[in-house]
Amino acid sequence: MSLIFEKSVKGKQGYSLPADRFSDIKLSDCLPASALGSKKELVEVSEVEVIRHFTKLSKLNYGLDDGFYPLGSCTMKYNPRINEKLAALPAFTQAHPLAPPESVQGSLEVMYKLNGLLCEINAMDGFTMSPAAGAHGELTGVLVMRQYFQKRGEKRTKMLIPDSAHGTNPASAAMANFKIVEFKSNENGTVDLKELAELMDEETVGLMLTNPNTVGLYDEGIADIERIIHKKGGLLYYDGANLNASLGIIRPGDAGFDVVHLNLHKTFSTPHGGGGPGAGVIGVKEKLIPYLPTPLVDYDAAKDSYYLKEVGKDTIGKVRSFWSNFAVLLKTYAWILSLGPEGLYAASEMSIINANYLLSKLKEDYQPAYDRYCGHECTLTGREYKKYGVKTLDIAKRIMDYGMHPPTIYFPHFEPYAEETIMIEPTESEGKETLDDFIGIMGKIAKEAKSHPELLTEAPHTTPIRRTNDLLAARRPVLTYDDTLKVKEQ
Amino acid sequence: MSNQIIEGLYYARTDEWLKVENGIGTIGISDYAQDQLGDIVYVEAIEKGQKLKQGEAFTTIESVKAVSDMNAPVSGEVIAVNEAITEDTSLLNADPYGKGWIIKVKIENEEELKNLMTSADYAAYRKE
Amino acid sequence: MRYIPNTNKQKEAMLKAIGVASFEQLIEAIPASVRLQGPLKVPEALSERELEDHLVELARKNQDFYAMKPLIGAGAYRHFIPEAARSLLQRQEFWTCYTPYQPELSQGTLQSIFEYQSYLSRLTKMAVVIPSIYDGAAATAEAALMALRLTHKNRIIISSLLHPHYLETVKTYLAPHDTELLVLPFKEGLTDREALASALTEATAAVIISHPNFLGGLEDLAAISEVTHKMKALVISVNTESMSLALLRAPGDMGIDIAVGSSQSFGMDLNFGGPYNAYLATKRPYLRQLPGRIVGETVDSEGKQAFVMTLRAREQDIRREKATSNICTNHNLNVTAGNIYLSLLGTEGLYETSLLNTRMAHYLEDQLVKTGLFERVFTYPFYNEFLLRSKLTPAVLKERLFKQHFVPPLEVAQYYPELANSWLFAVTEIFDRKSLDRVVEVLSAKGGKPCP
Repeated sequence: MSLIFEKSVKGKQGYSLPADRFSDIKLSDCLPASALGSKKELVEVSEVEVIRHFTKLSKLNYGLDDGFYPLGSCTMKYNPRINEKLAALPAFTQAHPLAPPESVQGSLEVMYKLNGLLCEINAMDGFTMSPAAGAHGELTGVLVMRQYFQKRGEKRTKMLIPDSAHGTNPASAAMANFKIVEFKSNENGTVDLKELAELMDEETVGLMLTNPNTVGLYDEGIADIERIIHKKGGLLYYDGANLNASLGIIRPGDAGFDVVHLNLHKTFSTPHGGGGPGAGVIGVKEKLIPYLPTPLVDYDAAKDSYYLKEVGKDTIGKVRSFWSNFAVLLKTYAWILSLGPEGLYAASEMSIINANYLLSKLKEDYQPAYDRYCGHECTLTGREYKKYGVKTLDIAKRIMDYGMHPPTIYFPHFEPYAEETIMIEPTESEGKETLDDFIGIMGKIAKEAKSHPELLTEAPHTTPIRRTNDLLAARRPVLTYDDTLKVKEQ
Repeated sequence: MSNQIIEGLYYARTDEWLKVENGIGTIGISDYAQDQLGDIVYVEAIEKGQKLKQGEAFTTIESVKAVSDMNAPVSGEVIAVNEAITEDTSLLNADPYGKGWIIKVKIENEEELKNLMTSADYAAYRKE
Repeated sequence: MRYIPNTNKQKEAMLKAIGVASFEQLIEAIPASVRLQGPLKVPEALSERELEDHLVELARKNQDFYAMKPLIGAGAYRHFIPEAARSLLQRQEFWTCYTPYQPELSQGTLQSIFEYQSYLSRLTKMAVVIPSIYDGAAATAEAALMALRLTHKNRIIISSLLHPHYLETVKTYLAPHDTELLVLPFKEGLTDREALASALTEATAAVIISHPNFLGGLEDLAAISEVTHKMKALVISVNTESMSLALLRAPGDMGIDIAVGSSQSFGMDLNFGGPYNAYLATKRPYLRQLPGRIVGETVDSEGKQAFVMTLRAREQDIRREKATSNICTNHNLNVTAGNIYLSLLGTEGLYETSLLNTRMAHYLEDQLVKTGLFERVFTYPFYNEFLLRSKLTPAVLKERLFKQHFVPPLEVAQYYPELANSWLFAVTEIFDRKSLDRVVEVLSAKGGKPCP
């Protein structure tokens, strides 16, 4: 599809400005010539053409409303329309973050009440709404842990991370200048308790854990893990990416976690946006509240009003400007209120049943990484088909030809248990009909792999573009339209 | 899996090879290494005059799906850098022992060669 | 529950197919000691209508901001977002989908990002642009970390006229590392250049300057670049009001090494502080040290033009603890919001709007000073934000403005205590001559109590 630049024609207009351009004010009276630059060329297209361009672009995308989107650990659940409407209420969208507190009591109340709800759902004592994404929350959490030890005068430099961890875990710990101590999972795909006990010492900050873990398995050793880490004075960090398996069933605070980050754009139904914005709020136990980023929202009962309260001298500072990704918080608040206690439990319950149903029906054609019930996502492998010259990548691309989005592939990839991985997370917002359709498609593909592997190796055939040349993109980076023009010249 | 091993070269545990001729070492990555990395897209710039220390990382090699440190098999000063591979990184995949050589160094201390593997040792080490 | 399609019957059928008698069997692995024993203590579910009632009631506890015009900016600016932009952004294919890891199903998102990168590259005159980091503060911090990686030096000099939240964020991000952070004082509302000259040493990795600065002033970035480069340090420019990019001299023309900025002005509502978006632009040789995601052009197996996320080897899922940053999900939808906004305004619209912003700001500033109730604090050139010392008490100023549906400017003393009763005004094209005249009229109403 042509770029917007290729549709640009001098003289076309897509903007609207009033007649009064304040031309009585001379630009030279406003700014010195040295501060001014030349006019930057963007595009000139009419509003009609902009509408057509982006409408066409949108049709090149497969969205969640189009069908099954079973990416593992992404929790692609339905984004309720009422939440979008309420987040768009003008009194919320036009509220300036620095407006006087008495004028934004509604926004502050949403933040305060959400804190209460999230504390209850996770058994934590206080949340900061600052982090803008999961990884941002991980960084915030790790900095809070660092501050805790710093203020206690304890020098701890290491962080324990299982090999199954999402890449953002070690990346975040490294940004906090910790030495990452990676350890292997056991043959059940869970934490090797013996190794953990050997590695945990008084120079270690603690452990970053996802539970259920990244292959969708609950770690039954959770009580032992908690004991091992806390015995040596460490802290336990919960990566909440997989919280959808736990709502109303198990709370990280009850399991001994000291810090949790949540992905509101996963578990809590806020839209993914094509890669954000989401929010990665973090909750902590009481003893860590003094270190949270500043400010928090508090309620003054005497004045019956909400206000932004400075955390205090031990705060880690700030990780962003202003207070939060408010629009995302509002959708989360609305979702929790729409589900209530039964609904939250039902969401997790159904997500687990859906995932196990898929596991039971797919395990014959696709060898599971582990032979046990899974949480809200199941990890299968495509290794059976390597002998036909078919990789898991090919299976994923072929799924597209059947009108569905493929699951996650090649993550996690810790040998020897999980290779050629296919990680499927249906979420609770898929009906049995869709799951049966998917099962049928996967069965067809398994047969094709054996009889007509080229259907897979050359897939997708029916999407707007075929497979991309990623090597070319990386070898000769063309990152702007001006780069494209330069390449054309050569 | 591609795993060609050339005789007469020294090999490091981190899959670099070293050819020694009159106190000058030519260095590259082994066939096993290029196979593991996949199509190589970029090698971080190395400067002539750069001082290397045996076992320490002196550059990174990037493929579409991975980035790997390259460690110096011997200590020494870089006296030549293969310009051809900056033009065409595919040489590292296609001809890792020949046209895909990366740098030449003036070897500081031939005693260090004791710490490296022979082609036979490396073959045993990287046996599938 | 209408978001959960399966019926109880379907649930039972699936449990049977799995081979378990009840759901409990599926979660046996969870130790009883940590299982919740009863339902969560959250309010009972609200119906859709009840939910709407509740949120509308909460919205009413805010001022009716939609009908008010803000005289406040300070890092968040209300610009007029064309309805075509709002409408297009509601297409589910843009906002419900995931990060474009599968390019064959995501060309809409990927091409949109590429186009936006192209716009920002032209606006900043920098070769490569990361289109999305969460906000300007995080982007500034990432730029600082990037400079440390590029130079292998450990000293960062930063102006005290950075947005206070941005400055705080840089401090927080740098705290765990063995770095030295020196904050430069200001003089006459601009970064103290003598202090900069004495602060610059061979150990300096980068100098971070906001332009326009927090108090609205325009710095002499070209001169600052020159002295900084002499010390082999990098210059990082920070901009909170991207509307200024259309009018002002581009960072790339002033020797800037890394240009970061909030792009909230390009199509995002105020939303009480977020989500916004930020860009990080740099020179081509620094490409591989960039944090975050970038989209590149390539072809598919049939030679058709296609877009993909590229240079992924820098990122956390591949490099893990050696990644240039931990950033994963960013603010991609706001990239598309920015693209649509810039496409609608276009070359002329953006330029004219940017011009209007500064003309209107200067008009208001002049009119306010003429009332005799305000005086200029500094004499630096400014874009669309300016600082005035008020003879009215804060309470009176705020009250008069609120009553007439204007959000008051920012009282800067909370960040710069030495600037007592000084107000940072911002003006955008949300205003017009009539409303600006009204602001002046309202503030100079008879009976105003001047400060002692």
